[in-house]
Amino acid sequence: MEKLKRLAINEEGFIFDPVSGNSFTTNRVGLWILQKLKEGKTPEEIISELPGYFEVDAETAERDVTDFLEQLRHYKLI
Amino acid sequence: MSEEIVVAVSGINAVDNPGPGLGVIRSLKEDSSLKIKAIGLAYDAMEPGIYLDWLVDKSFIMPYPSSSEEDYLARLFYIKDVTGLQVVIPTLDAELPLFIKGEQELKSKGIETFLPTWEQFELRSKQRLIEMAPRLGLSVPPTEQVSSYSDLLKALDRIGFPAMVKGLFYKAYRVHTFAEAEGAFYKIVEEWGYPVLVQKVIQGEELNVVGVGDGEGGSLGMMAIKKLWITSLGKIWTGVTIKHEVLLESSQKFLRETGWRGAFELECIATDDRIYLIEINPRFPAWLYFATGAGINLPARLVKKVLGQPVETHSEYEAGRLYIRYTYDLVTDMDVFQKIVTRGET
Amino acid sequence: MKEPYEKPLIKKVQVGLSNKFGSVYGRHLRPEIDGVPISDLVSRFGSPLFVFSERRLREKYRQIYQMFSTRYPNVHFSWSYKTNYLDAICAILHQEGETAEVVSEFEYEKARRLGVPGSEIIFNGPYKPISALKRAVQEGALINIDHFDEIYDLEDIAEELGNSIKVGIRLNMDTGISPQWTRFGFNLESGQALDAAKRIVSGGKLILSGLHCHLGTFLLEPRAYAKAIEKMVDFAYELEDNFGLKIEYLDIGGGFPSRNRLKGIYLSPEIAVPPMEDFAEAICDTLLSKLKPNDFPKLILETGRAIVDEAGFLITTVHASKRLPDGTRSYVVDAGVNILFTAFWYNFKVELEEDIPGPAEPCIIYGPLCMNIDVVAENVQLPPLPRGTRLIFSPVGAYNVTQWMQFIRYRPAVVLVGEDGQVDVIREAETLDDVINRERLPERLVLKMS
Repeated sequence: MEKLKRLAINEEGFIFDPVSGNSFTTNRVGLWILQKLKEGKTPEEIISELPGYFEVDAETAERDVTDFLEQLRHYKLI
Repeated sequence: MSEEIVVAVSGINAVDNPGPGLGVIRSLKEDSSLKIKAIGLAYDAMEPGIYLDWLVDKSFIMPYPSSSEEDYLARLFYIKDVTGLQVVIPTLDAELPLFIKGEQELKSKGIETFLPTWEQFELRSKQRLIEMAPRLGLSVPPTEQVSSYSDLLKALDRIGFPAMVKGLFYKAYRVHTFAEAEGAFYKIVEEWGYPVLVQKVIQGEELNVVGVGDGEGGSLGMMAIKKLWITSLGKIWTGVTIKHEVLLESSQKFLRETGWRGAFELECIATDDRIYLIEINPRFPAWLYFATGAGINLPARLVKKVLGQPVETHSEYEAGRLYIRYTYDLVTDMDVFQKIVTRGET
Repeated sequence: MKEPYEKPLIKKVQVGLSNKFGSVYGRHLRPEIDGVPISDLVSRFGSPLFVFSERRLREKYRQIYQMFSTRYPNVHFSWSYKTNYLDAICAILHQEGETAEVVSEFEYEKARRLGVPGSEIIFNGPYKPISALKRAVQEGALINIDHFDEIYDLEDIAEELGNSIKVGIRLNMDTGISPQWTRFGFNLESGQALDAAKRIVSGGKLILSGLHCHLGTFLLEPRAYAKAIEKMVDFAYELEDNFGLKIEYLDIGGGFPSRNRLKGIYLSPEIAVPPMEDFAEAICDTLLSKLKPNDFPKLILETGRAIVDEAGFLITTVHASKRLPDGTRSYVVDAGVNILFTAFWYNFKVELEEDIPGPAEPCIIYGPLCMNIDVVAENVQLPPLPRGTRLIFSPVGAYNVTQWMQFIRYRPAVVLVGEDGQVDVIREAETLDDVINRERLPERLVLKMS
């Protein structure tokens, strides 16, 4: 999670990586997951907490968090 | 000073192949009788105009003109709601069909344009150019329209090298070999689709005319220049105003014959005995500020004409005025960038 | 209070590609077709499902017919069977007054079986078997000759039947468009067409009474039609003056575009495709200016795509989603290129049954075939789609339900939404029986399973 900690993330979902110089945009749920990752939560914890904050069922939460992590890996952010 | 007028201008991409937008906005802002709020219409968050706050007051990212007409117009209506937009000056070729076809719908919502009619717009096509040029006392270089690689090869056999390989809207490459021609052909097809034009290269002086037609056969002003130095992309870097009587007379004829409305640029090449018409661009060229600097503020005249205000129409300028383009470095923080990528507007 | 959910997404801002639209715009919804909800259609008839709108079909025909008939006094439409020869579609257009334009013995038989008399069939095409040609002659069909060998065939038939046959010839010509379709008919500029006419006249068994041409497909240049009409009228008068015959009809064929987005054309179809009026005007104005006073030969149009394409929709369902290694989002849907043949030429409009939250990103839509070519749509801006989402592709009314093939899966049902909202199946979904009915397994190969 060291990579995540260095990111500058604003409340509108704009993300700047000061090391690589890359910028990203994310949506509200993406922002929420990123914050949880920064807090050191595991993917399993995030999946189980997500339905408590958003209108989503557990199965969709699992699928979407997995996909989101795949996107982060694709961008080499985790 | 009169009331504030909200004008949206596209082509604020002042890059190595610059759009005309910033020249248009700068001209509008320099007219002391107009008070302009300039809206920049951008297609990418990195278009420099977005960051030049002394020229562009507010910018919006637009859907591409290739997306649906409905989406594009919806975006303009949104901008109208947010800013009170009154006049749009589209400056990019790819946008013009959309604006010309959407003219009435835009007008009904209170957004004015001053553009050629569809019929006038189609005069740019190779076939119409060939028909019209003689009536203006001009010639046309041999040109062929191709839609396949094998047609390209056949056309090059007939036309020979060097040749120009051109897209219907954008891009022109000068090619000297079949390999270069192939590369240019596929680059154009990939980006802009078919058909592709192949044109014989005429050796001579590159002369251009910029102007605005009043829509009734007359002119709201025009000016002729010679390009002195062009970049590797074929873009003017230095130029000089000229008073070429034959060329200016042909331009007047062009307006009379077509009843042209709106901005235009005639690209010509003069040899010893004739003037070739290479292209009619139905919009301002990127160097149009040259005319403003030489005393003919065409964008301001266009806006006044649209709004029904009195307009100067003279074309008096001195020959020998010099144009020098230069680059400029801007350093800023990420605020504007963040806004434009997250909200689509500044 | 929980917040509304949308699928989490992260996108890299790429210079030169950082345009956030169509994520906000470019999201188009189609909850129903002519008042019938998509969900009703799928629950009754399954997915994928071809849906035709009778209202759109009739309206389009009437609009186009009117554009021509108000500009020229003697206009006649003939339905291009190959574009869509489902009985129900043909029947609607025959009810509207179209005759049948067929290009094979199969289409001919299908039209006759539907109840179209031979005298209301135009028989075109490069391959007309002798037996089919003979039947067409006996039943009074209008035949447009494609090549010299067909002249000889028809002369033989005339001799056999003991009477002369009225025929037309198909022409090909330069109208300034490329590619020029030179493989059909007789070339005008080379003098081949004149030779064909001479041959027909000197043979004495056929009566040349019409000229046909068909310039190409999805043509965007009304002036090409004007040019074709100009050349056809000149040629018609040349024939009339030299051979003392009368050209009774000029058949301009079809090739008119629909509001579909052709691959490789930059602008959207609303902008790039000229309105049908422009074609009608080009054709009719040229006719009226070229024809002699009081000479109004019949103008025949064989427009297919322009009439039926926008009346057809394909409903599909998202079966799975997948992120490709390059980060692109892709979906697998239940309809492939085997039933959506025109996916090779067009970037269809892709609409959602209902709004789905979340930013759109460019996606690829794959069909269900286990084949790499099975790409139904590329670079479509879509929000993150849950499984089971319905996507509606259009326009798909032209060529798909004729050029589709059974491959791996059964072909789906085709339904027609009537003008009163009634929905009828006009082609049932295939079953195993449809596929195996024609197969024969030699006795010695029958598997003996214990």
